Amino acid sequence: MKSISLYVNRNSFVHDVDPITKLIYIAFAILVPIIVPSFTISFICVGISLVLLAFAKVLRKTVPVFSFVFLVLITVVIIQGLFKPENETVLFQLGPITMYQEGLLFALTITLRVLTIVSAFMILVLTTKPSELVESLVRKGMSPSIGYMIVSVFQIIPEMMAAVSTITDAQRARGMETEGSFFVRFKAFLPLMGPVVLGALINTKERAMALEVRGFNSQVQKTYLYEEKTYAYSRLIRALLLLAIAGALVWRILS
Amino acid sequence: MIKVKNLSFSYKQNPQVLSDIQLEFDQRSTAIIGQNGAGKTTFVKLLKGLLKPNAGQIVVKGQVIKEQTAAELSRTIGLVFQNPNDQIFKRSVLEEVMFGPLNIKMEKSEAKEKAIEALRLVGLEHQLDINPHDLSLSEKKLLCIASVIAMDTDIIIFDEPTIAQDSNGKEKIRRIIRTLKEKGKLVMTIIHDMDFVAENFERTIVFNQGRVLADGPTREVFSQKQELLRAKVEPPYITQLADKLGIPGTILTIDEFIAKYHSVK
Amino acid sequence: MNKIVVEGLKYKYPLSETLALDNISFSVKEGEFIGIIGRNSAGKSTLCQAIVGLVPHFYKGAYGGKVLVDGLEVKTHSIADISLKAGMVFQNPFTQVTGSKMTVYEEIAFGLENIGVPRTEMINRIDEVLHLFKIEHVKDHNPFDLSGGQMQRMAIASIIAMKPEIILLDEPTSQLDPGGSEEVFQAVQSLKNQGITILMAEHKMEKVAQYCDKVLLLESGKVVDYDTPEVVFSRNDLDVFGVTAPVYTKVCQALGVKKKGADTYPVTLKEAEAALKEMRR
Repeated sequence: MKSISLYVNRNSFVHDVDPITKLIYIAFAILVPIIVPSFTISFICVGISLVLLAFAKVLRKTVPVFSFVFLVLITVVIIQGLFKPENETVLFQLGPITMYQEGLLFALTITLRVLTIVSAFMILVLTTKPSELVESLVRKGMSPSIGYMIVSVFQIIPEMMAAVSTITDAQRARGMETEGSFFVRFKAFLPLMGPVVLGALINTKERAMALEVRGFNSQVQKTYLYEEKTYAYSRLIRALLLLAIAGALVWRILS
Repeated sequence: MIKVKNLSFSYKQNPQVLSDIQLEFDQRSTAIIGQNGAGKTTFVKLLKGLLKPNAGQIVVKGQVIKEQTAAELSRTIGLVFQNPNDQIFKRSVLEEVMFGPLNIKMEKSEAKEKAIEALRLVGLEHQLDINPHDLSLSEKKLLCIASVIAMDTDIIIFDEPTIAQDSNGKEKIRRIIRTLKEKGKLVMTIIHDMDFVAENFERTIVFNQGRVLADGPTREVFSQKQELLRAKVEPPYITQLADKLGIPGTILTIDEFIAKYHSVK
Repeated sequence: MNKIVVEGLKYKYPLSETLALDNISFSVKEGEFIGIIGRNSAGKSTLCQAIVGLVPHFYKGAYGGKVLVDGLEVKTHSIADISLKAGMVFQNPFTQVTGSKMTVYEEIAFGLENIGVPRTEMINRIDEVLHLFKIEHVKDHNPFDLSGGQMQRMAIASIIAMKPEIILLDEPTSQLDPGGSEEVFQAVQSLKNQGITILMAEHKMEKVAQYCDKVLLLESGKVVDYDTPEVVFSRNDLDVFGVTAPVYTKVCQALGVKKKGADTYPVTLKEAEAALKEMRR
């Protein structure tokens, strides 16, 4: 069964850090560059994230994500560099194309923002099991039902994909053409939705009953199979990160 | 009607699901038995063109099926899937049964005629305008059978038709299989109910770990105790009882048992 | 001692015109294994669900009469409370998997976490049921990667780990192959040996005859008969209720061979063999 989770199982101190600390790190990596709008700070944040990803031995797994992000960002750079209304200072000219400094700087800011966010999130996503993340949030007081919904999506979507392929087979078996041009595929797509949705509803009802008889709505204080993950330096790291955010705020207010 | 030569198949890089299958099918009604994971469903999907073989060839009525899409093949081979909820697409029983015939470009009037005939065969002819999803699960299974019969193919394959059927439902399926056979169609069924196999199928094929372990007239197959054991298939209950009593030969039905029991006594 | 008492139970699903359960009364003693039989939509699943409280709490609808599960009245207790007394295993192995756990081990823990079992005891219980249902070797697999028989045994294990004294099984083998069903029946047999009270809805009459102490025959939500398998399967009007007797009973009935010293027909392979051999002498 394929899971749609991106989690990569490796041995590293990054994997050992608890999910809550990673969430605080994401807050740090997003907030500080916004509060302190300097290229240096942004570069440092991206740099820290990349180093951490390297330590977690998952740097290679980030390549497809970063390539996609770069593809989007390049169009931003080109469009802003060429057409931003505030463009005045000509940077260089290539035939009929003129690239302006204002647009380019603005695009660079956006690029760095996106990169800080993406790289920080990737640390969480690639080194934390979704179930572990949700479990730690439930311990912190999130409703177990919402927690269940979030985690089950990771497993139930692949199950639905399998249902889609069975239903497509059933359509083809009854003489419906599903291969070929876009129009043919589109025509086959609509009747597909009925059984997929219906099947999902039936499964949801059956699953809800199965959860009920396993005490899902029990009022008793919940216990956990695994002990809460604690990393020796969690408190120190969290304190430093929060301090950094606070420091950035103070700097911003004073200057 | 079907010739299968050196057929092998695996899903992507995984181990082989089917290896080197050689089979020929004639008009005899045929049961395909064996444990889950033995390759039965994969085999019928290959026959139906839903999967493409890695090696070997399938020839249906003289035509190699490699070039045809599953949809094109649906004029020759009908396949009823296991779960009815995966294969109901329309809002009324009649429309549902006409869906297949219309897809293969049958005239509307002819499609309707075939649909009603098929519904009569499964006993749903009085529920033409009902929404299929208001039927019970066992009726839905019968509806799916009718939907395939209406396409009037020479070959019809069922995947586990007796699951979720009570004794009345099984009786209906027994009648449907007999009627199709009388019309000269090849009926092939994947099935786990051995007493049903013993009573209703002329030929039985045992799949085990992607290979054909036994193949022949049903009586002959059920007399091969070693092979059945290897495929983890339990012989029909009636056969087991006859064995315990030392009745010679392989008994397949209650009537045979009674006749032999008296003669032995 | 009576583990389950059902008195005059009537139930109608919301939006339905007819009673799904119509004045049902019966009781089950501790450690008994009851088979529930009848045609499709006779009320077998509804009855199972009425004992664990899914009827009426999950479905709502109109409800009358009384169901006592180990002294607890179902109507006035939550499904979670009843789940400590009576567990239920459903037909479809796939939809019983919670979908929120990555391994079989964690999957079994799900119910125990919900009812607040302390960690050390949780681990003991999981190891125990993994062993009992012979699924230790797949404990680190993803639940969805198991075979049907394994998945169904995992479902039973998940319920048994919660240590209910009663378990309900709704056609637990209808979607399994013969090997898988046999695995499940053997697992159920081991529960009986532990003294757990079992109710099982099932179409495979040979299995019902082989394993059950008593058979409850339902038709249109009413109890037709509640007696030993021999008595119920010796009835000559079973086809009226959409049920057929085990092959062994049919053969003996046709030959007029009854159980020695009884007025009923044999229902299992062993009994039929004995009775038919006796006749030949």
